[in-house]
Amino acid sequence: MPEISHSPDPKRFEVSRATLWFDRFMGWLIRFGGIGVIVAVFGIFYFVGKEVIPLFRSAQVEPAGGIIKAAAPAVLGVDEWGEMPFVYDGADKVLFADMKSGEAREELIPGLTGLGITAHSYDPVHQRVALGLDDGRVGSFLVNYERTFGDGSAPGMQTSITLEPWFTLEHGSGPVTAVSYGDSGAGRAIVAKRGSGADSTVSLLRLGMKRGLIGKGKLSLLEEADITAELDSEAMIVRASQNGEMALVAAQSGGIYYFLADSDGVSKRQTFAPFGDKPPRQMNFLFGGVSIIVTGPDGKQQQWSLFRKGGEGERLFGKTKEFPALAEGPVHFAASQRNRSFLTGSGRELSIRHSTSGSVRWEGAVDIDPVTAVLDAKGANFFVAAADGTTRRFAINDHHPEAGWRAFFSKVWYEGGDGPVYQWQSTGGSDDFEPKYSMVPLIFGSLKGTAYALLFSVPIALLSAVFSAAFLPLEIKRVVKPTMEIMSSLPSVVLGFLAGLWLAPILETRVPSVMMMVIFIPISALLLGYLWCRLPIGLRNRFASGSEWLIVLPFITLAGWLGWMLGPWIESWLFIYKDVASGKELADFRLWWPQAMGIPFEQRNSMVLGFMMGFAVIPVIFTIAEDSLSNVPKSLTAAAAALGANRWQVVWTVMLPVAASGIFSALMIGFGRAVGETMIMVMATGNTPITEWNLFSGMRTLSANIAVELPEAPVGSTHYRALFLGAVVLFAMTFVMNTIAELLRQRLRERNKLV
Amino acid sequence: MQPGSPKTDTPFATTGRSRRGEPWVWLTAAGLTLGVAMALGLFLLILVKGAWSFWPRRIDLMEVSKNGVIEKVAGYVTQESERRDAEGVLHKEIQVFRGNRDLSGEAFKFIDRADILKTSRPESLLLVERLEYGPAIVHGVALVTPNGRIDVSSPDFDKTLRQSLADGAKTRGQLLRIERKQIGAISREMEALSRAERSGTVAAQTAAARNAELQKEFEVLQAEAAKLRAGLAGSSFIGMTADGREVNIPAEKLLGAFPANRAGFGERLAEMGHRIWKFLSEDPREANTEGGVFPAIFGTVVMTLVMSLFVTPFGVICAIYLREYAKQGHLVRIVRISVNNLAGVPSIVFGVFGLAFFVYYVGSGIDQALFADKLPTPTYGTPGILWASLTLALLTLPVVIVATEEALSAVPRGVREAALACGASKWQTIQRVVLPASLPGILTGVILAMARGAGEVAPLMLVGVVKLAPSLPIDGIAPFIHPERKFMHLGFHIYDLGFQSPDAEAAKPMVYATALLLIIVVVTLNLTAILIRNRLKKRFAVSSF
Repeated sequence: MPEISHSPDPKRFEVSRATLWFDRFMGWLIRFGGIGVIVAVFGIFYFVGKEVIPLFRSAQVEPAGGIIKAAAPAVLGVDEWGEMPFVYDGADKVLFADMKSGEAREELIPGLTGLGITAHSYDPVHQRVALGLDDGRVGSFLVNYERTFGDGSAPGMQTSITLEPWFTLEHGSGPVTAVSYGDSGAGRAIVAKRGSGADSTVSLLRLGMKRGLIGKGKLSLLEEADITAELDSEAMIVRASQNGEMALVAAQSGGIYYFLADSDGVSKRQTFAPFGDKPPRQMNFLFGGVSIIVTGPDGKQQQWSLFRKGGEGERLFGKTKEFPALAEGPVHFAASQRNRSFLTGSGRELSIRHSTSGSVRWEGAVDIDPVTAVLDAKGANFFVAAADGTTRRFAINDHHPEAGWRAFFSKVWYEGGDGPVYQWQSTGGSDDFEPKYSMVPLIFGSLKGTAYALLFSVPIALLSAVFSAAFLPLEIKRVVKPTMEIMSSLPSVVLGFLAGLWLAPILETRVPSVMMMVIFIPISALLLGYLWCRLPIGLRNRFASGSEWLIVLPFITLAGWLGWMLGPWIESWLFIYKDVASGKELADFRLWWPQAMGIPFEQRNSMVLGFMMGFAVIPVIFTIAEDSLSNVPKSLTAAAAALGANRWQVVWTVMLPVAASGIFSALMIGFGRAVGETMIMVMATGNTPITEWNLFSGMRTLSANIAVELPEAPVGSTHYRALFLGAVVLFAMTFVMNTIAELLRQRLRERNKLV
Repeated sequence: MQPGSPKTDTPFATTGRSRRGEPWVWLTAAGLTLGVAMALGLFLLILVKGAWSFWPRRIDLMEVSKNGVIEKVAGYVTQESERRDAEGVLHKEIQVFRGNRDLSGEAFKFIDRADILKTSRPESLLLVERLEYGPAIVHGVALVTPNGRIDVSSPDFDKTLRQSLADGAKTRGQLLRIERKQIGAISREMEALSRAERSGTVAAQTAAARNAELQKEFEVLQAEAAKLRAGLAGSSFIGMTADGREVNIPAEKLLGAFPANRAGFGERLAEMGHRIWKFLSEDPREANTEGGVFPAIFGTVVMTLVMSLFVTPFGVICAIYLREYAKQGHLVRIVRISVNNLAGVPSIVFGVFGLAFFVYYVGSGIDQALFADKLPTPTYGTPGILWASLTLALLTLPVVIVATEEALSAVPRGVREAALACGASKWQTIQRVVLPASLPGILTGVILAMARGAGEVAPLMLVGVVKLAPSLPIDGIAPFIHPERKFMHLGFHIYDLGFQSPDAEAAKPMVYATALLLIIVVVTLNLTAILIRNRLKKRFAVSSF
């Protein structure tokens, strides 16, 4: 190509430098600002997602220093903070190991010197070491830790050891070979085995505090029960529960015996055999004392919990979960004192498992051969000790052990329940309450609320969109459309308050009337149309086309009124409640419904909700559907009319099919609006997380759940993050729906352009 | 209209011979009628209920016989209902507001219409407003003043009542100024002093000296307040309830007395205006069930304005970028779909984000950097009006972006080309031609965003709204604007009154009034937006020839 040489512009045609500079500056500013805003908007997903991700992390375990050499360990225990574990040598010495400084300090227990200690066990709740002697005595000592705060320096730890009273077993003979101590503060129980082989005996001791006049009462024996006779073979493992109210004995024959030791005395309640005729290799209580973990001969671990079968009767043990198998060898076990996690394993292979979700949080090997292991109270560290006395600390990083896919989205068998359920219950009364974070009832609630809202609003919105697009004169449409648009801007808190405080009390006694209205109004309109076109054409021509919506008004008002008035009559005819006690009959739908259907009737129910949600959803669906119907090319409708189609045929065969994807996208956007609606859901439903489609009960939706619970949830807790997960689920649902709707709408636009 | 007339707007006449499908047409008509009726009915309901809550009602004195005992009840009917008892007998019940919660425990009473023996409207009945226990409905008996007792029969009664009400209002105003402003200032200074002492910027001796001075000032003010109180102590209002019990209301707590049965229409109208004014201008009292909603109005307005301050520039810049600067390709299309989508994301999700990002991330960061001396008490690391405004700004961003983009794209291509042909640079074209032309459209977007923002409650519950804020976000205390403060909001006020209030029944008039106010605000904003949009359409209809 030949080069074009152009002479420089005359000076007066040149753009001033300032203008060019400013133009460039603004260009960059706007680019920067625009991209910045877009990035910021997408930052939302990042930040909400960031809060959720830790829920799905498994536990991490790292060695946390402090190798300590001690004598051969009999019992390994630890303080609440995991800083100063102790090793009891099985005689009269306790070694305290300071994990910070690495120093070890041995303490002698004078009261134990010279005694023949033949059995011991550890209760991590009170840092109690239970002891059994060769002369048939049982007792314990407590290891007390106390935090000391010096002058500004790092907090120190003071330890002391308290020896508790001894009790001599009356039954049986020989040395005590196994002992377990349960203590709830008020009542205590000791279960102890004496001797070995066929003539061994097992005793269950109930202890109580005798109230003294001053200070603490004296611990005294209330009862010693010989429970040997109840067992069919030698006892292998004995365990007293933390609350001191029950004892479990695993016998050689494979049976586990459950004894209750309450104020009525000791009684056997149940025998169960988790592994047939083989005794379990290990049996321990979990935190809360309601569940046990047992390991079978093949290494398979099971959880058995107390619950009422079918919700009634006595609480008995039943198998609730199975865990992956452990390897051969003796089983280590330590239960967390904060949640339902436990540390278990055999040999060097250890794992941290969570009983509620039935999941393995961590699995790994330690570099010594542990003979005993213990978890600290906060679940932040675990300690293992080898036979040669080497003790090691491992830090656990597991902030959300109760979380995970299974906990959120599948059925979970919670402690105390009689089967796996979907349940959301974030707060409870007691310390050992187990929070339940299933998303399913909330998702169900959201879908139920949305379904009933759409059930009511979709017909009205679509019918009015069709009429407005196809038949309504333009000048009226100019008023009707903005009216609907303003309706969509009604603050939902106002709708919610009207639903809860105004509509719910009115509709509560008028359910049959509402049913009648729902039937009468559409029928009256259809009937009117049927009769109308049989009127003489001269009469019909007096009314302009498109004024049907005004003509129909008095008729549907009348039909509605008639339905409303007929309601009580229908009620007294169909919905008769029969009082079971007195045999009296009463016409009351509110009482009839639970009796006939077996599901509850609540004042703030889905019917009220559906109606009020209509105000929020109808305008959204109407506006979009009306737009897509109005945008059907005139050439198509005119062609259909020219071919002889009447006005309904044009609508039915041309307009609706052409606008179908637009209408579908309107429905999706309506769904999005309904599913995320918060204030109406909070105020018009009972906020109970249930999973039933009952029209006359409420629900708890994802959105309402967040609004109600998030202000109270501690930052960073599982509860807080679970609520964030709810927000993510909600977001995902609406985002998917809206994207589909948007794509459909764009496709429709292209198609209409082509035509 | 004649069949087949060319003037008809709709393409098809009703008069064809074909009857097929005609019932369906009527069904769609019924759908539209229902939809419009629902919308208008709801507005009407709130309008009537809201206005009704201000109207001074006549007070009925009813003689009610229940199980042989005759009781006199004075009050006005608030609700009528029907109830069927266990025998299936229909009872017409009325709910009567009788006030006097201090005497009877319940301000409302349900009465079976059949039990009413006689109803009258004695002129001596007064609706007395006071600081505690809600209104009292009593017969006026006397006024006790330092100059003696004036009985209701005395011709001076009305004048003295007016005078003592005015005196009481004045004294209460003075007391408020002393207690809230002056004593408040002293306690704030003391607090700042102790903080400064702790951090070592002020010597302990100076601090102690200043503290003593402040203490002295405080005592002087307290004495002043006590003197003011004593000035009212001698006066009180004595009334008698319908059932003959005497009620003594000290002048300090007396807010107003309205002779509901004696007043003519004009007086009642004036009283209604007075009540509306008090509703709009006063602080709430008695767990928000009495008094006004001024802090809520103020909070809503400030929050909405701050929100639009944020959302307007960012929304407009983003829209200009998308429409004028960005290369129109797949990426921009995806961004546009996402922005549209964002408008459909539930508002509570934005609230959750606001809490995580603004409050706990940005807020805590600010606290650590600037307000470390106040920690662990958070300053910005806790929900507040700034975070609420920012959250709502994000929520309404798509509204502004979409509206601005539409307005920008509606500017005719010819106009731009003309500007460019005249030698204007790209920015000059945008600044002097495109933006002015699309200004009404942008304004529509901003107003719609404000309407949406003013009506949202759910996200606010997470990021800063409270049922009762001790102080306004903007006031006379340096630095005058307090973006970290919590605030009250009309929408949340409705939720709180209706669902968290200890006496939901007594709060109902307040809820309806607040709902009416909120709806008026939102609908006015929406109507303005619609009007501007309609104007805009006309203007472009002319310009794009």
